[in-house]
Amino acid sequence: MSLSLATAITIAFAILLFLVRNRIAPAGDHASDETVRRNPPSAGYALPPAELASTIFSTRDRDFIQLTRSSRLEHLYLAERKKVASHWVQQISHDASRIMREHRLRSRQSPNLSVGAETKLSWQYFELKLLCASLLLFIQIFGPHALVELASQVGALYQRIGQSLPDVPAASAIESARNLTA
Amino acid sequence: MADPVQLGPMQSARDDLERRTLSGICCDLARLIYLASTRDYNSGTYHHEGLAARFGPEQAREALQSTHRNIFRRLVALPLEELVTELEAYVNMSHEAPEGLIHAWRELEPYRVAVPMEMDSTMVRLFLSNIKLALEVLEFRQKQSQECQPASSLQPLLGR
Repeated sequence: MSLSLATAITIAFAILLFLVRNRIAPAGDHASDETVRRNPPSAGYALPPAELASTIFSTRDRDFIQLTRSSRLEHLYLAERKKVASHWVQQISHDASRIMREHRLRSRQSPNLSVGAETKLSWQYFELKLLCASLLLFIQIFGPHALVELASQVGALYQRIGQSLPDVPAASAIESARNLTA
Repeated sequence: MADPVQLGPMQSARDDLERRTLSGICCDLARLIYLASTRDYNSGTYHHEGLAARFGPEQAREALQSTHRNIFRRLVALPLEELVTELEAYVNMSHEAPEGLIHAWRELEPYRVAVPMEMDSTMVRLFLSNIKLALEVLEFRQKQSQECQPASSLQPLLGR
């Protein structure tokens, strides 16, 4: 009993740590990569988040690499995919924070705020942040492929937040990205 | 195919680019590199004389840019296995020795220049990472085939 409580506290602490870290250093902590730095996070010309997630987290590439039976290639593949997956989660989390910040600023001036809709949105935002923190933690511990469904859920939730806020420019970028390949 | 007269000028320029130029290039990776080569390094703007003469410089620029982005998106969405096939086709098309090309690409990373501007940073990261992995897979295959060659070249001797 005390052991499981200690495990739960450790996990909660780790998630909290990731949440804080995520808030302090969003999206760009691999700053050495010049080509990536030149491109802004979530620029308009992106694949829809859920599609990008399923490409990153798909087990198809891992299975292909495993066919080579080269442990060096497998290690390299896992390290590379872990980096991309972590970057994607941090980017999603950062973008969601930006969208909510913009929304808060706009809603201060809005005369007809719906408490129900705002509560639902806040809950979705909290859920997304929690999922992002858990994803980051799980990617580091278990690797990116144990999390395909969780990642798709993050992508779908992020898209839903974008759909709920068509008046926020940053959120409409999510929609336009989705429409590009729709 | 749609009538070019009824299409918008940009769409017509894009169709023309695909029909006259890109269809003659063997794979999407080579098309991406070709389109990146039509972009000025200093200004980031695209130039294509033939296309500009037919549709005007602005339409030509937009057609090149949007086609470049579309091909990049296609390549990012490809499974690694298919990207390796793309890279293999590109190596064959280049007429360079595969070992030399793989070495140069790993050292100089010229594929970074092929990334269109203003793309999503995760897509860029995934593309660069996948190209790096595809190069490793290709080199691995090269080494394996070289290891197999001496054994297979003995076959005719053993058969005598």
